[in-house]
Amino acid sequence: MAQQSPPPFTPPPLTRLAHRDGLRRINVIQGETRVSQDKDVVLTTVLGSCISACLYDPIAGIGGLNHFLLAEPGVAETDPKSMQRYGVYAMEVLINAMMALGAQRHSLKARLFGGAMMRDGFRDIGSANAQFARRFLADERIALVGEDVGGVSARRVEFRPALGLARCRHVTDTALPPPPRAARPAPPPPPAATGDVEFF
Amino acid sequence: MSLDPYRKGQFVSQLIMTVDDSPSMRMLLRAALTDMGYRVLEAEDGVHALDTLEGVTADTVPDLVITDINMPRMDGFGLIEALRRQPDRRNLPILVLTTESSDEKKARAREAGATGWIVKPFNPEKLAAAIRRVLH
Repeated sequence: MAQQSPPPFTPPPLTRLAHRDGLRRINVIQGETRVSQDKDVVLTTVLGSCISACLYDPIAGIGGLNHFLLAEPGVAETDPKSMQRYGVYAMEVLINAMMALGAQRHSLKARLFGGAMMRDGFRDIGSANAQFARRFLADERIALVGEDVGGVSARRVEFRPALGLARCRHVTDTALPPPPRAARPAPPPPPAATGDVEFF
Repeated sequence: MSLDPYRKGQFVSQLIMTVDDSPSMRMLLRAALTDMGYRVLEAEDGVHALDTLEGVTADTVPDLVITDINMPRMDGFGLIEALRRQPDRRNLPILVLTTESSDEKKARAREAGATGWIVKPFNPEKLAAAIRRVLH
């Protein structure tokens, strides 16, 4: 889907509401996860080669999104198995946060965004990210109800977690800032003591 | 690492039960643990783990349990407490493997009777060292 205007799947109510006061827009940067059951919350994120899984439980009215790259922030491990372990971790953090609010694992539905091939020095990590996310959802038997992944342009995603409504616009305007990356200026804290073992 | 029956002088590899509601996580653990030479028994939550353990035969008694915390039906805390109530599982090593790292949850696991706490994503070398330590 490479259309730029009008946006590919914009539900009219969202267009109006998105610019009205009363909606809380929360930006999610790389390495972060946000969940909410508030109908007035809009989670936004800008993606390059990163992937964002927008998960929601339509019965409980709970949703959330993460924003990750298949590599642990601040860690140089880039072999496929470490990347996979990190991806599973990123997805689990999102699913656990939703379950803590009352979502049921078997009700979850997913939309995937991102995974573009960006000229940012990475090999085509974007497509590896997208493949990982699809595989993960299939293994976990979570229905993938929509996706806009791959390509060469950045994306701006808006997701209303309580409603499960998402829209994704391709960003090709060079005046736009590049998607924020964890490495700088503000790295999200890596999971504390990752892989560390503490004996009781 | 490959399976070596003479490693640590044992002829039958030790059995590890993994308890996690995520099939992806169970697959990652199975791959890592079989690489280390262990046999693996899986359960998808605390209830499933207890049911499975009730039906084990002599050669499917796990030497170690690695459990997640956040799971439906019965979470990791509930599983550890239930296992510690069984006289023959008082000394079974139980490692918690979780995304959580709060002191409060660690304290709860310690009180329930867990042997150790590992934060995801796991590192295979650190996991292998932890397993060797609790199995011997």
